[in-house]
Amino acid sequence: MTTTIETQIITRFGPKANETDILKKCGELMNIFGLSAEDLFLKWESYVITTSTVDNELQLSLPSLNKFQEFLQMKLIKSNQKTPSSNAKRPVMRTTPNMNIIPSTPMSSMKKRRLEAPGLRSADTSYTNGGDSSPVAPSPSATPSKQTESGKILETLNAHITPSNSISQAKLKLFANFNPQKYKFRTMNQKLLEVADYLDEQIDATAKVLLNHYKFEASDFGNPNVQSQTEILTVGRIVPDSPLTPYDADLNPNSLFLETSRSGGIGQRVQLNISSIENFSFFPGQIACFKGINSTGEFFKASKSYPIPYLGSPVSSLSDLNTYHQDLAGDNMKVVITSGPYTTQNDLSYDLLSRFVDKMNNEVRPNTLIMFGPFLDVTHPSIQSGNLSFDTDKTPTTLTEVFKFVITPILKRLTCQVILLPSTKDATSKHAAYPQDSFDRKHLGLPKNVKCFPNPATFQLNEVLIGCSNNDIFKDLKDVNGGQKMKQSRFDRVAEHVLEQRRYYPVFPGGLKQKKTKSLIAENDTGVLEHVSGADLHVPYMGLTEFNESLPDVLVIPSELKFFCKIIKNVLIINPGSFVKMNAPGSYCLMNLVPPKVEDLSKADDVDDVYLHNVWKRARVDIIKA
Amino acid sequence: QNSTTLQPLESTIPDSDRFRDSKPLKLTCPSCQHFFPFGGIQSSNNYQITHSGIRCLSCQFVLPPLSVSAQLESFLRTQISQYYAGWLHCDDCGITTRQVSVYGRRCIGISGKAYGCKGIMRYLYSDKALYNQLLYLQSCFDVDKAKKRALKPLYEEFSGDVSADDKENKPSVMSQGELDALVEQNRSLFEVYQGVVDNYLEDCGRRYVDMGGIFGFMSAFEK
Repeated sequence: MTTTIETQIITRFGPKANETDILKKCGELMNIFGLSAEDLFLKWESYVITTSTVDNELQLSLPSLNKFQEFLQMKLIKSNQKTPSSNAKRPVMRTTPNMNIIPSTPMSSMKKRRLEAPGLRSADTSYTNGGDSSPVAPSPSATPSKQTESGKILETLNAHITPSNSISQAKLKLFANFNPQKYKFRTMNQKLLEVADYLDEQIDATAKVLLNHYKFEASDFGNPNVQSQTEILTVGRIVPDSPLTPYDADLNPNSLFLETSRSGGIGQRVQLNISSIENFSFFPGQIACFKGINSTGEFFKASKSYPIPYLGSPVSSLSDLNTYHQDLAGDNMKVVITSGPYTTQNDLSYDLLSRFVDKMNNEVRPNTLIMFGPFLDVTHPSIQSGNLSFDTDKTPTTLTEVFKFVITPILKRLTCQVILLPSTKDATSKHAAYPQDSFDRKHLGLPKNVKCFPNPATFQLNEVLIGCSNNDIFKDLKDVNGGQKMKQSRFDRVAEHVLEQRRYYPVFPGGLKQKKTKSLIAENDTGVLEHVSGADLHVPYMGLTEFNESLPDVLVIPSELKFFCKIIKNVLIINPGSFVKMNAPGSYCLMNLVPPKVEDLSKADDVDDVYLHNVWKRARVDIIKA
Repeated sequence: QNSTTLQPLESTIPDSDRFRDSKPLKLTCPSCQHFFPFGGIQSSNNYQITHSGIRCLSCQFVLPPLSVSAQLESFLRTQISQYYAGWLHCDDCGITTRQVSVYGRRCIGISGKAYGCKGIMRYLYSDKALYNQLLYLQSCFDVDKAKKRALKPLYEEFSGDVSADDKENKPSVMSQGELDALVEQNRSLFEVYQGVVDNYLEDCGRRYVDMGGIFGFMSAFEK
């Protein structure tokens, strides 16, 4: 290689250059500035012409080459300064056909690699699948048998209601029940004292609710930490008995403590004996109320637990309901719900999402489509290893640009009203904590029919109050249970807890995902726990995750676990399932809601003419294979 | 650290000290899977900065810009998520836990009863450490710092990041001419990477003075 470069230099610069010093310097300059021998010579020529004077022509020598280097450097700085705003545009390098070691631009090197040296590629096929397959051509990675199943109904709730096949595209009225400004707090500055303030406030606020509901006397409440001879009432947080208990440990009825508030028992914790309570389900972070006695000073023996009363259901006035009925012209209201990830673990191809968008536009035609992140999962293996490429007109240089150039064009094709909720795993969101600020719609180039909502968000579609939270409580809530509660499905218990605790994510401390990496020393098999992701709770702002005044009609909390739809306390609970599950198409949810007819509704109040929505009676929910 | 003792202004401390505890950004070469620490424009045995970007020295592949920014962002987010895991450490009995007492700083103690231990609980991953980590990543792509050779060196005497073998084979130092050229050639590319870090720095609460906290006592007059 070196000989060819040297001969190249000599052919350009002439025999004068045949000195080791000069050859070395020229080679160096070619390397530094990425020039071919010819380009270097041309630049040298122009330099000689501009700097030489009549009586003193510049000779090819080491000092003059050093000055030449300064000159090239100055030119480089100047060319950078001319275009300071064009960040996206990289300084254009001359093409260097002669030089095989240094490719002219990274992009061309990628292409070259793809064309010439398939052997250099990594073993998995993500490289080709992500880039080469055009969106129109069916992806070869998806197995045909799975494809034919697409559209199959996996589960149905209220099957007696017939889904509508009409294609009315009435726009639903959308009201946000949250203040988006409140989600714009700054992250990464969680103060321990503010966390503690919130945790303390939670206990006292719940105590007040219980006091009012059960008509307790304030004097009935006592400190469960101190010995006493009479039964007292107490409100506290369920905590594990040891600070060293791992977050995912399986607790048992003997390993629970009750934490008191500052005012209730100066924040101390006492062992909880629940042997006299028959049916129970407790989890760390739960606020619970007990009647009991601490007779020895060692433990608090609970004789009865008082559940937190459920919030009421939302109501609407007759005139509003009639308007909604007219808007839909008697048709069902159709809402489709999807949840990320939208790509397989092997590659970052959005073909399946693209086909889904076509299906929505041409076949299903929902009024509203609610989409949960992650759209671009920051923990995706291809992103972690940096092994990704896209076949688009503009080459993305950052993950935000990947969203703009790859995902936005797909979402843009949707004709219905769309609501996007981020995930804390979304690479595009700069607010990597829960509660989470919404996506920046304008920045991502999304059209106006796409609404970006924060996580969690409560909003109204016509009369239906929908609560959405994108933090996997169904996976993270692990309870200790007994009696009747044990026979219940776990999903039912978790959903009940969410409704009773009046917040979307009642577990504290939040879930954690760790991965065991084997230590480098082979004999030592203990391994190190490496952090992957978590619930990322920003506790001082967890007030934003509480239900406002009423239960939602529909509660949507996507989970990694299996899809389901069920009715708990007259609330429709939906987990649409992941759109792509590991490497196969997953599921999405279609809700058909019969328009409100006054005959079918129940009157909530005799004084005002308001009605319960009874969404759980009127909605047919299908979980459909993606 | 006691907040009452006088300390030099953070920004006046050289990067090698300020970022002593920051974790290095490690990049994987998409072509040969070589995994190496990245420290900005300085000489390394694992990578070389060329006029067209970062080149892996084990297979001569130039890392595409998206590959670098994706790995940078992935690393950043893992750090933020780790911070939000909220691990606490007691300075007396030494327990490490994610449980928080309603008094915050009070130690729950090994008994779990939240009395007995007089220690003070602190976040293991403090917001200051996270802020410095973000600044460190930003400095890795700071071409002007590279030009002044003010980056945190990759091959430090006591740095645990490099193997003993690497310490012996310190790469030769780049000539200023080469450095100057690389700085200008990579300026706009590295600005893209810096932009990735800046997005998070903008959201980082530590960067902003909490006026409410300082002037909070005045709110009494407003009411």
